[in-house]
Amino acid sequence: MISLLTLASVVLLASVPQAESIVIYTGWERHALVGSDVRLSCSFFSWRWTSEDVTFSWSYRPDGAKDPISIFHYAGGSPYLDNKGPFHDRLEFVGNPARRDGSIIIRNLDFSDNGTFTCDAKNPPDIVGRPSSVRLLVFEKVPVQAGVITGAIIGVVLGLLVLVVVIYYLMRFLVARRVFTLSVSKKKGKGKEGSQQKQGAPPSAEQQARLKASADKKKQESLADRIGIRGQGGSGPGSQEGIKASANDHRAGAHQAAPGSASSTHRPGTPPGTPVPPVPPDPQTHPPLTEERRRRRGGGGEEERRRRRRRRKRNEE
Amino acid sequence: MLVLLAGIFLLHLTGIILLLVATINNAWWVTDTISTDIWARWVWMNGAWNYTDLPDIHTYSEEYLQAVQASSVLACIFSILGLFVFVAQLFTLDKGRRFAFSGIFQLLACLCIMIAASIYTDRFHKNEANGWYGSSFILAWISFVLTFISCIIYFVLRKKTA
Repeated sequence: MISLLTLASVVLLASVPQAESIVIYTGWERHALVGSDVRLSCSFFSWRWTSEDVTFSWSYRPDGAKDPISIFHYAGGSPYLDNKGPFHDRLEFVGNPARRDGSIIIRNLDFSDNGTFTCDAKNPPDIVGRPSSVRLLVFEKVPVQAGVITGAIIGVVLGLLVLVVVIYYLMRFLVARRVFTLSVSKKKGKGKEGSQQKQGAPPSAEQQARLKASADKKKQESLADRIGIRGQGGSGPGSQEGIKASANDHRAGAHQAAPGSASSTHRPGTPPGTPVPPVPPDPQTHPPLTEERRRRRGGGGEEERRRRRRRRKRNEE
Repeated sequence: MLVLLAGIFLLHLTGIILLLVATINNAWWVTDTISTDIWARWVWMNGAWNYTDLPDIHTYSEEYLQAVQASSVLACIFSILGLFVFVAQLFTLDKGRRFAFSGIFQLLACLCIMIAASIYTDRFHKNEANGWYGSSFILAWISFVLTFISCIIYFVLRKKTA
């Protein structure tokens, strides 16, 4: 185990000198407008701590020239700017050598400043490394980079499309949910009001029975409405259902008769247990639909109306 | 019915193919030695075609070029999406309803390729006499017509069977 560790550490230490070369980073290309300022950045990576003798130097090679000239040097803690060459009075050191930054700013650019700027940094004892170059291009008008407008247009249009689709489906979902909650609350409200009505009325058996009977009667009535044969003769199946309806009515009549209440809409009731004669509903004893309904409405109250409305809605759906 | 459906599908597909060819092929403007386009330029030099960048921005209106690029690409995208939407609507639309959604996509594609071709016609090669509009340019206009017809058909057509 220990031998393995020593072997690993030896290998690491052996490899360090090869990694011990300084790596310098500058940009690749810089675009600037005539008359503006440009910042040329330069920084480096080194395995050693930043020493006090760190040096930065910038050199400039104009487009078409063969040899570079030195324009900036930082050594021993102080910068030395160009005071005779093409950049004198235009150069400024804005870097921070302690943070390994050796950037410079060139002010008031001109077309003659087109060229290649090379940054060389040394961090003793780490001095082996390649200098890095940045090309400066000075324009009258900054060109649009290839594909920026294209990408922007495509992105915006597709984004708008996605937004429209999302909003459309969101509105549909919200509207559906609102309709759903409305119907649910309506049902709840109806239930509550119905129970309130039942509680609010004086607790006399007669009235309760009357209410219940009228409710049942209304249920039967609307059932018959649905079938659609009430009060109108009709062909075979119609008459059969007419029989059914009359049977139901008779039963309701029996319900009414039992507690002994007497409601005006009460049909001449047959005593419970007698066989139901196959007689179509009598128009005289059984007044037309609308009158009964109106009377019932006055008697039964809102609850019945709402229930019927709900049933009609369900029918339509 | 099936024949009609196949015909509409083929029309849409043809529109897509023409749009793609117009966008990708470098033949919007052709002279004897160059065949240029919205992406790059082919130059006949020393017996071979060389693929070069388009000329400098100041003479070649970079912004308009990128607008042409963007809208022709968008036209392709919308048309392809429209095909998928059409197939989806074939299976999910209720009886008697129109193919509105696919019609909208085709309409957008038609508008985009019209924008692209119009900008190119109006802004480029106005003063060059020795050259003519190449095949891609013509295909762009033809695909405009095809997508327009396709869009009208989608807005008029109704689903017959569920």
